[in-house]
Amino acid sequence: MDVKEALSREGSYLAGEYDVIVTGAGHAGCEAAYACAKTGLKTILFTLFLDSIANLPCNPSIGGTAKGQLVREIDALGGIMGKIADKCAVQMRMLNRSKGPAVFSPRAQMDRNRYSASMKAELERVEGLDIRQAQVKELLTDPEGSKAEGVITESGAVYTAKAVVICSGTYMEARTIRGEVICESGPDGLPRSEGLSASLASLGIPMLRFKTGTPVRINSGKVDFEKLTRQDGETDVPPFSFENEMNGFRVAQDQMPCWSVWTTPETREIIRSNMHRSPLYSGVITGIGPRYCPSIEDKFVRFADKDRHQIFIEPMGRETSEMYLQGFSTSLPEEVQVKMVHSLPGLENAVIQRNAYAIEYDLVDPLSLYPTLESKVVEGLFTAGQINGSSGYEEAAAQGIVAGINASLKIRGEEPMVIDRATAYIGVLIDDLVTKGTNEPYRMMTSRAEYRLFLRQDNADLRLTPEGRRVGLISEERYRLFEMKKKAIEDEIERLKNTYTGPTELLGQILEQASSVNPPSGISLADLIRRPHVTYDMLAPVDTGRKPLSEDITKEVETELKYEGYLKLEKEKIAKFADLERKLIPSDVDYDSIGGLRLEARQKLGKLRPVNLGQASRISGVSPADISVLMVYLEMRRRSEKENG
Amino acid sequence: MADDFCACSTPGGKSGIAVIRISGVDHASFLDDAVKIIRTGSDASSVSEMPGYTTALADFKDPVTGEVIDRVIISRYKAPHSYTGQDLTEISCHGGDAVRQEILRVLYEGGIRPAAPGEFTKTAFINGKIGLSEAEAVMGVINAESKRALSASGSQLAGALSEKLSAVEEELYKALSLIEMIVEFPEHDDTPENTGRVREIIEGSCKTVRQLEKSYAKGRMLTNRMNVVLTGAPNSGKSTLLNVLAGFERAIVTDIPGTTRDTLDLQIEVEGIPVTVTDTAGLRRTEDEVEAIGVERAGKAIENADLIFLLIAPDETQEDAKEKADIIAGAGKAPDTIPVFSKSDEDTNIHKDSISSYAKEKNMMDSIVISARDEESIDTVRKCIVRCYEEAGGLTGTEITVMSERHRDLLYSAAGKLGEAMSVIDDGLGIDIASSVIRSALDDIGSITGKNVSTELVNRIFSDFCIGK
Repeated sequence: MDVKEALSREGSYLAGEYDVIVTGAGHAGCEAAYACAKTGLKTILFTLFLDSIANLPCNPSIGGTAKGQLVREIDALGGIMGKIADKCAVQMRMLNRSKGPAVFSPRAQMDRNRYSASMKAELERVEGLDIRQAQVKELLTDPEGSKAEGVITESGAVYTAKAVVICSGTYMEARTIRGEVICESGPDGLPRSEGLSASLASLGIPMLRFKTGTPVRINSGKVDFEKLTRQDGETDVPPFSFENEMNGFRVAQDQMPCWSVWTTPETREIIRSNMHRSPLYSGVITGIGPRYCPSIEDKFVRFADKDRHQIFIEPMGRETSEMYLQGFSTSLPEEVQVKMVHSLPGLENAVIQRNAYAIEYDLVDPLSLYPTLESKVVEGLFTAGQINGSSGYEEAAAQGIVAGINASLKIRGEEPMVIDRATAYIGVLIDDLVTKGTNEPYRMMTSRAEYRLFLRQDNADLRLTPEGRRVGLISEERYRLFEMKKKAIEDEIERLKNTYTGPTELLGQILEQASSVNPPSGISLADLIRRPHVTYDMLAPVDTGRKPLSEDITKEVETELKYEGYLKLEKEKIAKFADLERKLIPSDVDYDSIGGLRLEARQKLGKLRPVNLGQASRISGVSPADISVLMVYLEMRRRSEKENG
Repeated sequence: MADDFCACSTPGGKSGIAVIRISGVDHASFLDDAVKIIRTGSDASSVSEMPGYTTALADFKDPVTGEVIDRVIISRYKAPHSYTGQDLTEISCHGGDAVRQEILRVLYEGGIRPAAPGEFTKTAFINGKIGLSEAEAVMGVINAESKRALSASGSQLAGALSEKLSAVEEELYKALSLIEMIVEFPEHDDTPENTGRVREIIEGSCKTVRQLEKSYAKGRMLTNRMNVVLTGAPNSGKSTLLNVLAGFERAIVTDIPGTTRDTLDLQIEVEGIPVTVTDTAGLRRTEDEVEAIGVERAGKAIENADLIFLLIAPDETQEDAKEKADIIAGAGKAPDTIPVFSKSDEDTNIHKDSISSYAKEKNMMDSIVISARDEESIDTVRKCIVRCYEEAGGLTGTEITVMSERHRDLLYSAAGKLGEAMSVIDDGLGIDIASSVIRSALDDIGSITGKNVSTELVNRIFSDFCIGK
């Protein structure tokens, strides 16, 4: 439907004219709206329920492996997730500390209500951003249905815009399921989004349906914590936000513990004898669920040899006794859920506050998107978050900021922002989604990144802050601090490479702590740091010319030196990769007319329409020889265009 | 090394000369280490100094060992005045697979990769060296050539190599998913950190990959002949052994006398393996000029040997026997040598044990005792030949042999990386690095079997471990 037609409907009216409309105020929508408004665009953000902005309906944590890296990348680009998370953390940890800097991953437990309230307050203060509770029913386009021009809400309010960003999460035509009880509602009993999905499908956008689930919440009151294993947080973890870090922000020192427990033979028996009532196995649920987030009944079926599974019990905030049972997601009926919880040691008398449920929802096939997250079907329409087949708050926020930035750049007539696989996890995430597609909710994992040694949480600012500044999300003051930090790192590395020490008794003692021995003659401090177990801090007594530097700088210096050889190899690989990424493919290529391509390659390329040769090479069914043919074709075309002026 | 590539541009098999072509931007600096110019029209003393359109007579050597592989002609073309429009070097070497493959091996090890099908022509086109009208033809050629390459590798992969490599991949994915599991889901207590197990798997895989890589050398031996050298004092029973070997096999192809009476070559077949047996005399240090020539020839034969039988006469002194062992060890051939004690009238050398253990110290194989007139003894010798041939990797029917240079190159690279992964683990460096190195190795193997590491890995993690919130 076009704007004119929408306005001619009975009861409808023109409610507002904007640059950008963002529908859905979850993690993707908040970042998208923030990025648009902060870059000077008149923006409106719609939400189904204003008190659930940036809701954390599943686990009350932000970060974790690969996800912590995403949060830091979002911050480096100028996003807000990291700052709000720093403020609302009740526990922080750096995961994988013993496994090498490339996989260090910050994770924080959130005060869930505070997170939502803080995000709402933050967005309310942003100039040029309006926030509105309303249900968007339909996308409005030009008469041809090829360009987004606005939306219409359930009350007939018509809003026009130059770009529309849809971040519908798990709300489109959602159903929640527990046992035989099925509700047409979104997560947490919130209203679902109706009509929008059909409107997208009618424009020719390919749609999919996925499912995911969430565990029960209990009251901590009757829990016997003596029977649980306690896990405390760490107070020396850097904050998510680089800006906070540069300003000396310290993470919460008064932290709340998490707990863990194992399922019992009784748990297993309860599940086994009620399997027939699981909607997943009785055929009620048809959506595809994530393999990495299986329900507890799924775990017992798929891993029949394992007789027990670990459950984590996490606080939901400082002002609530509600706790989340991570690893205990289920869609079995309510009465079975109660028995299951009571079968866990220490939870024999626990009171359930919210049921576990599975949820099904509509989404867009991400293969129909450009790497800018703009739709290939409808110009000016962007989608971000779970609507694109991902899972997780961080994955959603990462797409949100990219969609928001690209909507803004498009309106401002500037070059789009495409982050590649060698630059950030954000690049890996989006490239995977739009190039390979997904048949289950996609979770970011560090194993998905080819250049993991380079894509570290500690250097996300070095990788992305310049881009954040280009698009207009990094303030001059922050950029000045960033450049100072960058220079301090470079200078210190240079100094360590040019500072030598001899095999003194003092050095020998220091090296002994690292089970290392004195060098035969003079050695640079840099070479000493490259030795296993030798740290920057350890060398202080022999490094008398050392200036006091903050820990974010010294840690970075240490990692860069220790990994120098491996990083060099990885950078060589990246250079090769980048070569293909730079070779752009015009959007009007007729693959059927390219004789040398194999049939399968022709079909896949025609369907996906990759933006560059690199993306083309990652499509399954396209061979290296096909890429060579394409390269020749592109050159041929370039030359004939040149000849024809 | 930038993305330089090379290939043999002349057909395989026997030919007078072969031409190996290298294109790219900085292979010349590597060639400077591998090529020693003997004579050229300009003042150039290295390949990178050679002006375009000039040639040079040169020795091509392995820069690691310094060993000269062949005397060649280098033709130099400078960008943009070359077929591909890049810097291009052609090496005209002597024909025959062995020389060709040795030169390619050195180039691969120097970081110059094997060319993809049609790549020279494609590069020529991209750089504007050939016209639009030829472009269509080029595109046709690329897929046609890769189809041919695929069917060749297809038949190979259908067989044992594919099976073996898939098993290696399977093992490495197991190791990797053990690492990745603890990286991705660190909070789970039921996924123990098990670097010992990871290392064990890598070690096993590394061994298999090295064996496969070595099988290429064997494949090479198949196309040439296996060189077996008999050496020792004149009365040590060499001639008898040689005659009996030849007679027993009844398969003398030719009987070419050596250029001096010091060596004699016999072409025989041992269980279908083509073997050249060389009988050498005078393996000792000498001042005598005439004898020195013989000694030099013996030295050459030993250098080129795939297997050496060092015969020790019953009455030989310990000193003489040990001196011969020293000379062989000095030529780096001890691991290919079997000491043979010949019996006459039931007497073997009384210092047998002492000489044997001395040879063992020098890294030689276990010694054997033979009586040239006894058929069982001859059988022992034949078995030694067959075993050596099998260990080198080239075998009959059921044997797994790497035939493609590209495959061998990838396996070589993979084995090196697996070795490195083990030292990373031993040094206690981060498992993030170990994982990165193992992935690189899998990338190499995946380039043969056609698997994508990260997709495969994620699938593995999901199927092997029970994880998730």
